[in-house]
Amino acid sequence: MSAPAHANGSPRAIPGAGASSFWGKLLEHRTALWRAASIGLFFLVWEIAGRIPISFAFPTFLETARAFLTMLFDGSFVAAYAETLQPLVIGIAISAVLGVGLGVLMGLSRFAEWLVAPVFIVLQAAPMAALIPLITFVYGIGLVSKTLAVIMLALPVIALNGYKAVRHVNPSLVDMCRSFQGTWWQRILKIILPDASPIIFAGLRLGLAAGFIGVILAELLITPTGIGDLITYHRSVADYPEMYAAVVSIILVSTLTLSALEAFEVRVLRPEKKKG
Amino acid sequence: MLKNLAKRPWHLSGAMLAIGFAAVLAAPAAEAKVRVAYGDIASVENLHLLAAFELAKQKGVDIEMTYLKSEDIAAQAVVSGQADIGVGGPYALIQKVKVPVRIFLQLSTLRFYPAVNAEFYKTWKDLNGQEVAVHSRGSGTEAIMKLMEQKQGIKFSKISYIPGSEVRTGALLQGNVKATIVDSAGRRLLQEKAPGKFVILPMDGVNATDEALFARQDYLDKNQKDVDIIVESILTTWREVTKNPAVVAEWRAKYKLLPDLPADQVAEITPYFTELAEGKAFPLNGGGAAAAKDDFAFYTLSGQLTGEPASLKVEEFWALEPLNRVLGKVGTN
Repeated sequence: MSAPAHANGSPRAIPGAGASSFWGKLLEHRTALWRAASIGLFFLVWEIAGRIPISFAFPTFLETARAFLTMLFDGSFVAAYAETLQPLVIGIAISAVLGVGLGVLMGLSRFAEWLVAPVFIVLQAAPMAALIPLITFVYGIGLVSKTLAVIMLALPVIALNGYKAVRHVNPSLVDMCRSFQGTWWQRILKIILPDASPIIFAGLRLGLAAGFIGVILAELLITPTGIGDLITYHRSVADYPEMYAAVVSIILVSTLTLSALEAFEVRVLRPEKKKG
Repeated sequence: MLKNLAKRPWHLSGAMLAIGFAAVLAAPAAEAKVRVAYGDIASVENLHLLAAFELAKQKGVDIEMTYLKSEDIAAQAVVSGQADIGVGGPYALIQKVKVPVRIFLQLSTLRFYPAVNAEFYKTWKDLNGQEVAVHSRGSGTEAIMKLMEQKQGIKFSKISYIPGSEVRTGALLQGNVKATIVDSAGRRLLQEKAPGKFVILPMDGVNATDEALFARQDYLDKNQKDVDIIVESILTTWREVTKNPAVVAEWRAKYKLLPDLPADQVAEITPYFTELAEGKAFPLNGGGAAAAKDDFAFYTLSGQLTGEPASLKVEEFWALEPLNRVLGKVGTN
């Protein structure tokens, strides 16, 4: 039932009923072609902009690609990501547990909502880049501060999504549970959480995206380590192709991670979306 | 292109209009003010520069300072023409990105002090196989430590990065690091808070530019008069400060510089400049070719410059004419 094209999460890239259908194949290839053309066009515009050049600090696409490959094979990226992923993974793990827990609690209890939700709404609206230096005053410049920066960005998104997910559970399902004399635990475990899980998971995905922003902000604003160090160092010695390659690498890593999560989400939690 | 324009006169008039607008917009900026971009906030450390600019203003050059987040943003502003003169040391930019700017006056040399906890280390040799903390990768502090490693024939086990001299000073005082490199304010703080607990390791032969003035070559050619007045004002100011460091505090009062400075920092002004004057930290002859040669040796080591120091050409980095003209007038010291 699942063609490889499903994995990229696009509801459009679905062939017609028969795999041998000519039109279906053409449609599938055309989508892929358009996508490749779109990326190619972007690179072309980049190359032209770099050659004009729009700024002395703006390298061409080819220079950046060369720097990217060099840094990929000489181990700089491996070493950098080993460092950058530490606060990210710890921060996301904490945010996921805390965020989902608090979110579900807020969804279930009006009192918890009244107590906790305003904090997260304010945190979500606050300009985090301005708050990160404050963390260093209290927690110094180590791993704790960077993990906190990730949590500050990821936690509100995860918690608020969990809260909304539980609030928007289908009321007729809850009524059904009640009419079958389901207990409070059964209602939560068998009705509310399964029905809310797609939105909770979407919140986790958005939280991870925010976490990527948090870890890069922390590495640029607190102490340069990992990928933030690659960006700062190459900027300070005017190796702009390497600097842009580092920026591109973080975009690539975050895009690939998020697409993988989205594909997982569509396949496991929202099969109805796939059939689209 | 031109042919096309000529065929369609309305395009030509559009272009003319645009050029006219640009001329109207550019003219007052080029005429009235010298826009100086500084890659840091104003503080006690650049009071003497502010005083020198006041002197230049008295001689008829109107100067407008802009404070930016970092040195390379200042360089970017100069390259794009949004500022006329920048403060910093854009060697890497000039070499690697070939920006059309030249350094024309050295303002200060790097002043840092390797400080170690006396409980553990006494000399450079004791640092063999030990960890030291510096500002950041590719920074001047790292280059100084690498240079000393070479000169002393030792090898550090690890170089860690802690940005901010005040942060490293604090870490040293708290015992979180045992060997690092601090600035003169940090050194004084160490001596005040814990006299005798820390040893400042001797360091000679490190003489690299910390800050310099730079501008586009075409700006230097077109605005010789203004540039000469600025260079002369700075050289005479530097010479006066070296003779009498207390004068900086007087200038601050006279020109109302940094009026909001807190009292404890005001008290720091004279000790700060006295120490620098005693250490001959103010380049009295503006650097020039000799400074450029020192910088080549130092910055190739730090990674800012690439290639053999001997193969680098002074004229590709420095514009020596303004300095030579002014030195011809005020004499070398």
